[in-house]
This record gives sequence, C-alpha cells and structure tokens, in this order.
Amino acid sequence: MDERDEVGELLARIGLRDAQAFETLYRRVAGRLMAVALRVMQDRAAAEDVLQEVFAALWNRADGAAPGQHRTLAWLCVVTRHRAIDLLRKRRPEEPLHWRDAQGEERMHDVPADDASPMARLLAREDDAQLAHCMGELEPEPRRALLLAFHDGLTHAEIAQRMARPLGTVKAWTRRSLLRLKGCMEAVA
Amino acid sequence: MNWYRNPSAIEQLAAAYVAGTLRGPARRRFAAAMQTRPALVAAVNEWTRRLGPLHEALPPQEPSAALWNRIAKETTQRAAPAATRSWWRPLLAPAPAGALVVGLLVGTALPVVWQAQERSRRDMELPDSYVGVLATREGQPGLIVSSLRKGRRVDIKQVTPVDVPAGHTLYLWRIDKAGAIAPVGPLPQGKFVHIDLDAPAEEVFFPAVELAVSIEPAGVRPAVPSAPFVYRGLCGKVWR
Repeated sequence: MDERDEVGELLARIGLRDAQAFETLYRRVAGRLMAVALRVMQDRAAAEDVLQEVFAALWNRADGAAPGQHRTLAWLCVVTRHRAIDLLRKRRPEEPLHWRDAQGEERMHDVPADDASPMARLLAREDDAQLAHCMGELEPEPRRALLLAFHDGLTHAEIAQRMARPLGTVKAWTRRSLLRLKGCMEAVA
Repeated sequence: MNWYRNPSAIEQLAAAYVAGTLRGPARRRFAAAMQTRPALVAAVNEWTRRLGPLHEALPPQEPSAALWNRIAKETTQRAAPAATRSWWRPLLAPAPAGALVVGLLVGTALPVVWQAQERSRRDMELPDSYVGVLATREGQPGLIVSSLRKGRRVDIKQVTPVDVPAGHTLYLWRIDKAGAIAPVGPLPQGKFVHIDLDAPAEEVFFPAVELAVSIEPAGVRPAVPSAPFVYRGLCGKVWR
C-alpha cells in the first residue's frame, strides 16, 4: 500500500473512532507535520500545540475537509500549516521579522535549517524530479518569495519587508510563480 | 460574475490556498465555499498533489514523547459521558463505532442467519456481504447499508432520519482510499428501503472504504456532491 492509500485509509478508520488507527497515523506522520509546524512557529512547544489541535480536530471530525477533498499526507500538511499560521497570528499578531529574545540574542523569523535548505533537499530527491525541475526554472527571487510563503508562513507584506521589495512585486511573483509551476509541470508530464 | 464561476479565479485562489498566501478571512471564505463547490475542491486537490513534494523537502522533526500522551488524553482516552437512556443505547456508544457492531448484527447477521436457516440448516456460514454503517453529522448512528457481494440489491435502514426538502432526495456515494467520490444512486424515502444496482455490488462497492449520503435535487444524476454529507461512515467487506 502506498503512502497516499495508507493515510487515506487510516483517516477513514479514524472517522469511525478507531483509536488504533489514530495512533498509527500519529506515529506515521507526526514527524512530518512537526516539521511543517515548527518551520512556521519557530518554537517547539508552540509547534506541538499546533499538532495537538490538528489531531484533536481529526478525531473530532472538525478538520474542515470538504466533500471530495483528497485526504492525503499532503492535505494534512496544508491543514497543519494553516493551523500554525492561525495560531502564530493569534499569539503574536505583531510578530516582527527580527527581534531580540530574553537573553538579548538577535533572532530572525525564518532561521535557516542547519542542514541543506528545503530547495536543495527537493532538488536532491529523484522522485520529485518534476516539481524540482520546475522550481529550478523559476527566477531566484520569485522562487524564494514562494518558499518563504509556503514553508515559513510569511505574508506577502512580510516577504516584501524581508526581501526589501515592493508589496505589489511580491504578490505578482508568488501568483505568477504558481501559474508557471503549473504550466511547467503539465508540459513535463 | 461570481468568482467561483470564473475558472481563472478558482485556479489562482486554489493555488494561493495551498501555497499559503491566501490569509485570514479570505482563506476562511474560500474554505467555506469549498464545502458546496466541487470545482474548488478539484482545483485544491490538484494543487495539493502538485505542491506536495515541497512539504517533504523539510527534514522531519520528531515531537516530544509527551505530545502523544497529551493528544490521547484529549481524544481517545477522554471519558465518555455516562449513559442514562434506554438499555440498548450504550450499545450504540461511542457512535459510530458501536453502531458498526450493532449494524453488523442487526443489518446483516440476523437477516442472513434467518435466510440461511430457511435455505439449509447445514450451511450456517454468512454469505459474503458489504455493510456500511453511516453516522449523522452529529456523530449519531444514521444509516445502515448492506448488500450481498454478488447481489444487485442494496438494503438501507434509516436509523436517524434527516429532513429532505421537497424536490430533493438522499443520494448515496462511495469514497475510495484516496478520498475520491463516485455516485451510487438516489435513495428512496423511508425507514426501510432498497435500491437496485446496475452492476453487481462487488463492482460498485469494491473500491469503497467509506459510504456517504448527501441531499441532491431530485431527478438529476450528479457527478459530485453539491452539498455537504448528511451521513458518512465505513464500508466493510464481510468475508475472508
């Protein structure tokens, strides 16, 4: 059974209050969802709060899936990122991009990962060659803007500030980048 | 023209929804519209699949061991409220898992046993069957659906009725492992009803992991649900 089938089947069983399926799903995807939440929240405790909300919603059938929506691991990642963004805005509506923590140390919102960047990891994955190829076709700045929104949960305004570019430019970058990605992936397929 | 009738607008909004650039009230309005607009759901499904590998580009981060305990306490280990109703009600709680057991017994096992007794007392083995026990949106046992594996007739028992507006009908859907929905057919009104399938149940229900029911305009053959489900639950295959 592939990953998509497994997550879909576990979610179907969870809909019927199958506690074993619920724990199996948690063991199977928590690490992946934690990465998504942590990237946005930049705080492990806050990221775990996000996961708790996501799994409680799955158990209580409050995940908001629309009829016909494919409930896959990718869908769970989208749900998790939306929850993380909501929680971040709720807790810190005036979240600065740069700040000093309690110890006086300078911090940035989107601290780079210690290992390879997500883009580098994506390019290294052979099974995602299609998306990686098309991401590589984007201009560097629009691609970076898209990834700042996707991985870090930054708003257009925050990306504009971070990249020192006009807001309208950033909005156009992300919109056009997504449409270019679609066109490229359809052409490659 | 409303934005949800504009394919270009749907495409851009679905992309922004999945990419994370659709925010606040706009995202909530879009998510609400998805509940009744299949075209939006199809676009979001496609963008979710398309951008899925980006999520996997992040290195997994294991949460603390304490997190699962917190989640379990809030969900699976949460004490169920004490039953104070009829003696048989506890058999249905927690719904719909309890309903599955009761549904299997009442909806399948007993009728089949009776039929088997009439046919032959030497052969008491249950015939291969599909059984679905569907919950209401409130989580109560709602509908029991059963059919013999090789049969073309589906028996339906409505445990908890829902209001169906004039000019509308209940409509049965199957949902496969990936969440894709396919129509089965309209359901007649009534506590005990049946429908006849165009193909053997094995062909119709084989891909199904869940069954669901929506309310649709009478006389139409929808390709996708036009309204949220009023019943939904697991579809089980009762054979080895």
